[in-house]
Amino acid sequence: MRCASGIEARQVDELAINIDPIQTGGRLTGDAMKAVIAYGDGYSVCDNCRKPNRLDYISKPPIAEFHNDVAAWLNMDAVRTVPGARRGFQAVAHTYVRKGDPVLLTSLSHYTEFLAVEGAGGIACEIPANDQHIVTPEAAVLKIEEVKKKVGRLPVLAFIDHVDYQFGNMHDVKAIAKVCHQYDIPVLYNGAYTVGILPVNGKDLGVDFVVGSGHKSMSAPAPSGILATTTERAAEVFRTTAIIGDVTQRKFGIKEPEMMGCTLMGVTLIGMMASFPHVKERVKHFERELENNRIVVDGLLSVEGTKILSEMPRKHTLTRADTIGSFDKIAESHKKRGYYFSNALEEKGVTGVIPGATKIWKFNTYGMTKKQAVYLAEVFVDIARENDLPLRV
Amino acid sequence: MTFQALFTLTDLRIILRETAPKHDLDDKQRVETERLLENLERQVASLKQEMLK
Repeated sequence: MRCASGIEARQVDELAINIDPIQTGGRLTGDAMKAVIAYGDGYSVCDNCRKPNRLDYISKPPIAEFHNDVAAWLNMDAVRTVPGARRGFQAVAHTYVRKGDPVLLTSLSHYTEFLAVEGAGGIACEIPANDQHIVTPEAAVLKIEEVKKKVGRLPVLAFIDHVDYQFGNMHDVKAIAKVCHQYDIPVLYNGAYTVGILPVNGKDLGVDFVVGSGHKSMSAPAPSGILATTTERAAEVFRTTAIIGDVTQRKFGIKEPEMMGCTLMGVTLIGMMASFPHVKERVKHFERELENNRIVVDGLLSVEGTKILSEMPRKHTLTRADTIGSFDKIAESHKKRGYYFSNALEEKGVTGVIPGATKIWKFNTYGMTKKQAVYLAEVFVDIARENDLPLRV
Repeated sequence: MTFQALFTLTDLRIILRETAPKHDLDDKQRVETERLLENLERQVASLKQEMLK
């Protein structure tokens, strides 16, 4: 069935259990789907835009209220919506980083954080993760001292991921932020995998910026996200325009250069808003998600030779598996090579694993029901049995 | 009325997602699905009446 010429209707999540590591937290709620139907037209949220003509001031639909609610929910002072977490990184980097400035990242940072630093002319200085793939405050101190010695000045900004995209491991942002602040380095909390998934309290974490991803973790259409900050930093990153046209003498009111004026002007914002009440509720029940993850991980680990490379016990549902000692052994001689595994999963109604991957791969159990978790665990065991892989009793 | 029907279909879509891949509905889901389908039939009937009058 097609939506339009050449565009197949997408039914991935209706037909299968989707364990794609980046997709699960961004699946729309029913309310978001309904809002998307009603607000699909371009500038759909702008019908009642009145002076001072800025997105976050619109009261119908309640966009202004949404901004205030998100700030309160994250325990921060000011929020703007942005076209993806990456645009939040970019706004902050562009505000604080000048050519040649050192910027702290980590060895597990997402590439968009690097690009934000590069775009602003900064130098990437990675805090290395330890053998358990955890970034520690001790490593942060060592890196800051190293940068001070090598570059001759301190980093101007730190990007710290609470949960990284590679292992889904949780890092002690609060302690790392404390260290950074001892050196007067502002801290950006990358909550792409946490804001909308589990409780986040910016003030308690002691961070200057909280960035979240709507399409990754807040059940919103792409590209969407939020950038939250403190009153002090808001004056800097959300500064208003001062430019004046030399011929027309035009000024542009309270538009914000880092936001390029208004940001999410239609379906992305309305989708994020429609999901927000559900998102606020679901973060209170993250333990259920971890329980489902445990069911699936136990199923995988019951196949001999399988390892979980992420920290254990799991603190997040994004998980990295190593099946070199199990499912990959079959791929060596199977006529479909590694594709036998993804094909078998698809046949059993499971999607989201990279086709052909049998060595090291990631999955995310977020948002599935317990019944689906139990079924998924059984699927891994069944594929092992069908291929005569030994099971741990 | 158009939106009501589309929203009802959306609610059905969510049930399909929650029950993938086998779509074995439990008692509660079955009752809810029956209710939604009945609503949808009524909504489609109203649409016919309104749009084709």
